Amino acid sequence: MARMKFLCDADRCIECNACVTACKNEHEVPWGINRRRVVTLNDGKPGERSVSMACMHCTDAPCAAVCPVNCFYTTADAVVLHSKDLCIGCGYCFYACPFGAPQYPRVGNFGSRGKMDKCTYCSGGPEVDLSVAEYEKYGSNRLAEGKLPLCAEMCSTKSLLAGDGEMIAQIYKERVIKRGYGSGAWGWKTAYRETIAI
Amino acid sequence: MRQDKRQENETRTTDETRKDREPGLGRRQFFRALGGGTAAAAAAVASVPLTPTEAKAYDPGTAETRSRYRETDHVKAFYRTNGYETLKK
Repeated sequence: MARMKFLCDADRCIECNACVTACKNEHEVPWGINRRRVVTLNDGKPGERSVSMACMHCTDAPCAAVCPVNCFYTTADAVVLHSKDLCIGCGYCFYACPFGAPQYPRVGNFGSRGKMDKCTYCSGGPEVDLSVAEYEKYGSNRLAEGKLPLCAEMCSTKSLLAGDGEMIAQIYKERVIKRGYGSGAWGWKTAYRETIAI
Repeated sequence: MRQDKRQENETRTTDETRKDREPGLGRRQFFRALGGGTAAAAAAVASVPLTPTEAKAYDPGTAETRSRYRETDHVKAFYRTNGYETLKK
């Protein structure tokens, strides 16, 4: 059985934020919520790196472990999804997640939170596939349409990979064998000379 | 004069409140009655044997958790275009 995974090739990411925009547009994500974000390390310094981050659909998901209402479930594709009908917006999953994936819409004054929202790997929720109810709560279900998450498909530099874990691992390995990695990658010494190594 | 008026007012209010309390259930009687009631309820609960019920986790069902991923031509094209030379066979 294929296990769905994301892999961001940090040597290729140029922080264009196309993945963030594509996600927001595809799922009609409201203001204040970003299911995907680009994190930049050592910004403006030699050796700067950007990584596109979202829910990593953990095998033993800590969000599911701490949820007091057990609203999380893992599909046969190893995608971690949740039911917004059960979620009470307590925020425990936000504290448990090492990637900061869970987001909460602000539904009123005094900081009250709505139902948690996170990356669904473009595979909807517990509602009937490709239904209006599913789209309104979780966004589009591209996996049911025979497609992959739009963030990865939209990536301009083909940095963000999505799909069967074994397949994308093979693609990444081939890239590393061909062009190297980090300071050993093609073009690094042209850009930074030999003084910087990672 | 003022003191006399105050005293008059105070005596009036205390008389009124007493009158209000007299026909109904007083505060002390109310709490006594409540105490008796809760003791009876506690005795009734104690007589029922405690049977712990297991907490049920959310079961979304097989239809929701089934695999949706298919290696369609669209997906194959993604793998092909993302791979380096070796995948461009």
